[in-house]
Amino acid sequence: MKTRRVGDVAPLLDPTDPGWSAAPVERIGMMPTPLAMQPTEYIRNSWKDRAYGATAAIEVAAVHDGSRWALRAVWNGVSPAGKDFPDALAIALPVRGEPVLVLMGAPDAPIHFLRWQANKPGAKSQLATGIGRSAPGPALDCSARAHAEGGRWQVVVSRPLGGAGDVAPLLAGATTGIGFAVWVGGNDERGGIKAFSIDWAELVLDT
Amino acid sequence: MSKRQVAMVMDLNKCIGCQTCTVACKTLWTRREGMEHMLWNTVNTQPGTGTPHGFESMGGGFYDGLAQPGRRPGVEDFGKAWDFNHQDVFFGGKGDISLAADGGKHGKGPNWDEDQGGGEFPNSHYFYLPRICNHCTHPACLEACPRKAITKRDEDGIVLIDEDRCRGYRFCQEACPYKKIYYNELEGVSQKCIFCFPRIDEGVTTACSRQCPGRVRFVGYLDDPEGPIWKLVTKHKVALPLHAEYGTQPNVFYVPPLSPPKIDAEGNPTDEPRIPTEYLVSLFGDGVHAALATLERERARNKRGEGSELMDLLISRKWLDMFGPFQKHPREVAQNRPIPQNQQKPRGKQVSTIQFHTKEEFKKGGRS
Repeated sequence: MKTRRVGDVAPLLDPTDPGWSAAPVERIGMMPTPLAMQPTEYIRNSWKDRAYGATAAIEVAAVHDGSRWALRAVWNGVSPAGKDFPDALAIALPVRGEPVLVLMGAPDAPIHFLRWQANKPGAKSQLATGIGRSAPGPALDCSARAHAEGGRWQVVVSRPLGGAGDVAPLLAGATTGIGFAVWVGGNDERGGIKAFSIDWAELVLDT
Repeated sequence: MSKRQVAMVMDLNKCIGCQTCTVACKTLWTRREGMEHMLWNTVNTQPGTGTPHGFESMGGGFYDGLAQPGRRPGVEDFGKAWDFNHQDVFFGGKGDISLAADGGKHGKGPNWDEDQGGGEFPNSHYFYLPRICNHCTHPACLEACPRKAITKRDEDGIVLIDEDRCRGYRFCQEACPYKKIYYNELEGVSQKCIFCFPRIDEGVTTACSRQCPGRVRFVGYLDDPEGPIWKLVTKHKVALPLHAEYGTQPNVFYVPPLSPPKIDAEGNPTDEPRIPTEYLVSLFGDGVHAALATLERERARNKRGEGSELMDLLISRKWLDMFGPFQKHPREVAQNRPIPQNQQKPRGKQVSTIQFHTKEEFKKGGRS
C-alpha cells in the first residue's frame, strides 16, 4: 500500500474531499477473528452460533505531506442508530519488534492503534501488548472525521509523521506494516468480536 | 478462590419491603451522573418478575461448568425512575393538566409488581426478596470479561470492577445470571454493588445491613464459627443460596419464609403453608424442606421455653452481633478521617434529596 505525497493533507481530512479520487485505492481483505482465540469461555460459547466480522473488505488510501499522514477507509456496514455498541475502525501500526497482528502484539513488541468509533468525536491512541491487553496509548495529535452515506462509512484518520517511544514510526521514504479492524456495532461487535485484516500489509511512504 | 469470603444472610421472615436498604445504598454509592437508573440493592415482591424484569430467564451463569450465553439487560429492563411534570402541574398555570410520568410514556418502574404476589384469595401470598451482587465464589462476570477488569479480592472475596480497565463491553452483564451489573452510559463502564468495601476495610458493616430496620441482614465471614454466617449457613443450614443451579456459588444466603396455613374451601386451615413450598424450592433449592423444618422445630422449642441458639440469632437480640467482625460505627471511622474544612458545607445544604454528581465530585464525597 502506497502513501502518496501531497502538498497539504489538510483538505483531505474531510472524507468527502474530491482530492481523494487521485489517491490509489487498495482493497484489504478482512475476516472474522478466530473464535478459538477469543479470550474467555463465555465469549466463545455465546458467539459460537452467531455470525460476526462479516465485513469482507475495506478500501483504503493514504497520503502525507511531509509532516502529517492521513488514511481514508471506506467499507459497507452503517449500523442503525440506538444500538448498544458503535461501529468502529482501528488502524494498527507496529511500534517495534515483530508483533503478530492476530495476537495484538506482545510486551516487547507492542502495536499502536488509532481507533475511531461512531459515537465519539476524533480518534483515540491505544497501545496493545496482547489480547485483552490494550491501554491508553502515547499522547499523539491524531484525529478522525467520518461520513456515512448509502450504507457505507468513509472515515479519515490522521496523525503526524515521525515516531518515538511508543508512537509507531511513520517516516517519509520508509516502509512499515499496517493492519485494520472493523466492528459492526449493530451486530453487538466489540472487543475481539470483529473483522480484522489477517496479517500486516506493507505500507510504503513516498519520500 | 479467595483466602476468606465475606457473606450476607438475609432472613426473609423479617423483611418488610421498606426499601431502607435500597435508599441507603443509593444515597451512598450511586449518585454519580449516569447512575440514575442504578439500584445496586433491590427489594422485589415474590412471586414476581424481579429487577431487571424477568431476570431469571435472561440466561448466563454455568451449566455443567460451562459458561452459558445470556441477555444484556438495558435501562428499561431494570426499570427507569420516572420523571414527573410537577412543575407544570403545580406552577404551570394550566387547570387541565394532570400528573404524568415521563410525559405519559413511562415504562415499567424498578418495582413494577410490588405487593402483587401470587395465589388466589384467601390464599394469596407474597414475600420480599432483597438482592445485591452475590460476590460469587465462581463469578461468571469475572470469567467473562476479556479485559480482566473484574477481580475477586483475595482477603475477603469481594468482587469488584476496575473502571480504569473496563471498556464497557458488557459481557459481564450478559454472563451474570442474577443480572446485578449495571452499565453507566455516560462513563462507558459497568458498575455494581461493591459490598461497601471501604466500610468493610474499616470494620464497618455494609450500609444496607446497618440501616435495615427489620434486622434482616447478617454479615460476616463464611468460615468464622463464632460469627452469624457460619452458624446460619453451615451449622443450622437454614440459610440457602438463591438459584444455586446457576453454578456461580453465590455468597448471599436467604432464610426462607415460613407462612401461615393455607385455607381450604370451607375456610379451615390445612397442613400446607400459604406460600407453596415448591415455589420456595424453585428459588432456594431442595434445602428448603430441611430449613423450614428446622425453623419450625426451633421455634416450637423456644415457645416451650427451652431456649434456642438459632432463634436467638434470628431474633437478633444483640443487634451488633449480626455483623460479625464489622461492628464499628461509621462515625467512629469517620472521626479518624475528618472532612477538610474547605470541603465542608453548611449543615442545611447537606440534608437534601438525592443529587447526582460528576465522577470528580463523587470522588470527593459528593462535595464540589
